[in-house]
Amino acid sequence: MLNIKNLTISNAEKSLFSDLSLAIDRGAVVALTGVSGSGKSTLLNWMIGDLDPIFSATGELWLRSVRCDTLPIEARHIGLLFQDDLLFPHLSVGQNLAFALPAKIRDAKARRHRVEQTLSSIGLAGFHDRDPATLSGGQRARVSLMRTLLAEPRALLLDEPFSKLDAVLRTQFRAFVFEQIERQNIPTLLVTHDPADVPQGGRVIEISDWQHSHV
Amino acid sequence: MAQALRLALERALPQAPSKRPGLPWQWLAALPVMLIFGPLLPGLYWALSPALDATVWQALWLDAQWPQALRSTLISSVLGTLLACGMAALLATLHYPGRLWGSLQRRLPLLLSVPHAAFAVGLFFLIAPSGWLARTIAHFVQWTGPPDWVTVQDPYGLSLALALAIKESWFLLWVLAAVLGEQAVSRQMVMGRSLGYSRTQTWRLILWPQLLPRLRWPVIAVFAYGLSVVDMAIILGPGTPPTLAALIWHWLTDPDPALQARGSAASMILLIVLLTCVLAVRGLLWLMKRHQPYPAGQRKPTASRRWLKLHTPLFLVGYAVVAVLLLWSVAQEWFFPALLPDALSLESWHQADWAPFWTTLWLAMAASLLCLPAVLVWLEWGPKRLNALLYLPLIVPALPLVAGQYATLLHLQLDGTAVALVWSHLLWVLPYMVLTLIGPYRAFDLRLMTSARALGYSPWRACLHVKWPILLRPILATLAVGFAVSVAQYLPTLFAAGGRFVTVTTEAVALSAGGNRRVLAVQALLQIALPMAAFGLAAAAAYWLGRHRKGLR
Repeated sequence: MLNIKNLTISNAEKSLFSDLSLAIDRGAVVALTGVSGSGKSTLLNWMIGDLDPIFSATGELWLRSVRCDTLPIEARHIGLLFQDDLLFPHLSVGQNLAFALPAKIRDAKARRHRVEQTLSSIGLAGFHDRDPATLSGGQRARVSLMRTLLAEPRALLLDEPFSKLDAVLRTQFRAFVFEQIERQNIPTLLVTHDPADVPQGGRVIEISDWQHSHV
Repeated sequence: MAQALRLALERALPQAPSKRPGLPWQWLAALPVMLIFGPLLPGLYWALSPALDATVWQALWLDAQWPQALRSTLISSVLGTLLACGMAALLATLHYPGRLWGSLQRRLPLLLSVPHAAFAVGLFFLIAPSGWLARTIAHFVQWTGPPDWVTVQDPYGLSLALALAIKESWFLLWVLAAVLGEQAVSRQMVMGRSLGYSRTQTWRLILWPQLLPRLRWPVIAVFAYGLSVVDMAIILGPGTPPTLAALIWHWLTDPDPALQARGSAASMILLIVLLTCVLAVRGLLWLMKRHQPYPAGQRKPTASRRWLKLHTPLFLVGYAVVAVLLLWSVAQEWFFPALLPDALSLESWHQADWAPFWTTLWLAMAASLLCLPAVLVWLEWGPKRLNALLYLPLIVPALPLVAGQYATLLHLQLDGTAVALVWSHLLWVLPYMVLTLIGPYRAFDLRLMTSARALGYSPWRACLHVKWPILLRPILATLAVGFAVSVAQYLPTLFAAGGRFVTVTTEAVALSAGGNRRVLAVQALLQIALPMAAFGLAAAAAYWLGRHRKGLR
């Protein structure tokens, strides 16, 4: 369960949200929509732990009964997916995935095996030693999602993950993402401006609902 | 070599984007650059060909001074470069991303505008046995006279290494700040950390492997500078023998042709040292890359060491240098253990020789203003692929280039003229100006130009009325950079001026051998004041001209 409690974010000029509270259950996807500049990214950055210092925030973030907002990014166990795949260009496709794999799989051979398994499960068998730059946009997007999930996050934040893909790819990748999330059974917050991105049965929250009622 | 360059030019020209105007334009755009670089090539041949004689090398080998000179050069340049890289890397790893990094970034330009020679003079006043540092210690341990230590002009070139390390670490930090400002880089930091790795680990595993190749040229430039620096070496380096660069300068200016030839041969040694070190480092990086282990996924929650405020001493030195110069320039009597002068007076300023100041002013203005149109037409219409060639003076030791320039000027019987002096500066002013402007120029939204063309403007008029006015702010900054680079030139001024022109830089270095610290401090401060005024003016002009246009700021 992912919980935001009484969050207020403001900068010197105005407050972006006041007294925002939100709970997302395991396996549930909540879609956050709003026009650009409405503060979606700011909210996301706060949850990640990367809030721009020009903002100040009060409120709490809880994940599986652990308070997270006081922890550094690396201790929060929150996975991220951006619209850019952000694969590390100096590593191979497989090394990108191995980088995310937890250290509990110790042996290098076992690690590589696990990575190759993951690659073939997403239709990219034999791609281990490829340079990420030689992959197509859709392939990179899939690798990027798997990298995030291999780190075994306890929650997932998706920041417009489909917006840079073309229409066909978009439908495919969207289905792929929600299938993977379902398998992981973790709370997910999806930021988007496209209503079509919201999965069936997903809750939709319009960000302005939090803003006007409290201004 | 001249022919090779011309061939390279010809081959590259037709490959420029096809929408550009035809060949004559591109030739015109390349013409100013060829006027700066072209005459250098026969000069390089004249200056360096004496080194082709084996007996010259024999004489160099038997020279009593050169092994020690090479030693102090190697120590000062290698140690200086390593320390500069180390300090810049450590500061970035400790403080990026963070609030402190931003404030460091804002303070850098001020420090960067202090010229090398003035910095060396100020550092001398700080760390010399009778300097501020010793005076501070004296207060605690009751010294009555300066300690009997060799803290400057030491035979190993350690004080020179320290000066290079501090000065160049600011430059490398500035380069790093530019690279780290890119969104792609900052997001990778967030991504690495969200996968559970600490900041330090993300730096080591993700950012450094990507940044190192991009920092290659700036680091080579720092090293090449350290290898051939003469002004700082005279002020802070060892005396007899001096560093190799200073020794080469003595040889090259000796009336004896045998010694001149020895100077040519020794300047080849500088090139060889540069190449060897660069290849060695590349080999080392290649080996490290090959033996990179398979990612083990080990997350190490390293304690953040952000309390290590290493930037404080590094920046403090910069401010202390200016402060101690200011104090000396107004000091009347200032005996040893006193931290502050016993009496102040403006006498040194009243009696100051302002001739070097005015010479520097017109010279730097001429050099930067002449270069600006050359830079603009080069970036707009010039052959893009030859940009690398322009940067050559920045990554090659300056001595052989200066010797080549001098040989050309002697053949043309132009040495000692104002034209020669300005031309000799352009070789360094131009690449720095291109380097400053190329970023904003590439980032320019070309659709604005397309819109102007669609409205019926010719390419030339579109540049004049749309592109360059929009780029006014970076163009003014580029002018200031060109001005500052010209002010700081030491070797080209010495050679091309033939003793007829004295700038604040040559004057400060010449005075550093004498005992009058007050006069020296005044000239060093004038050397600092000129670039600072240029940067200040550029910023003020940009602000004033764009005061009603928020989009231009």
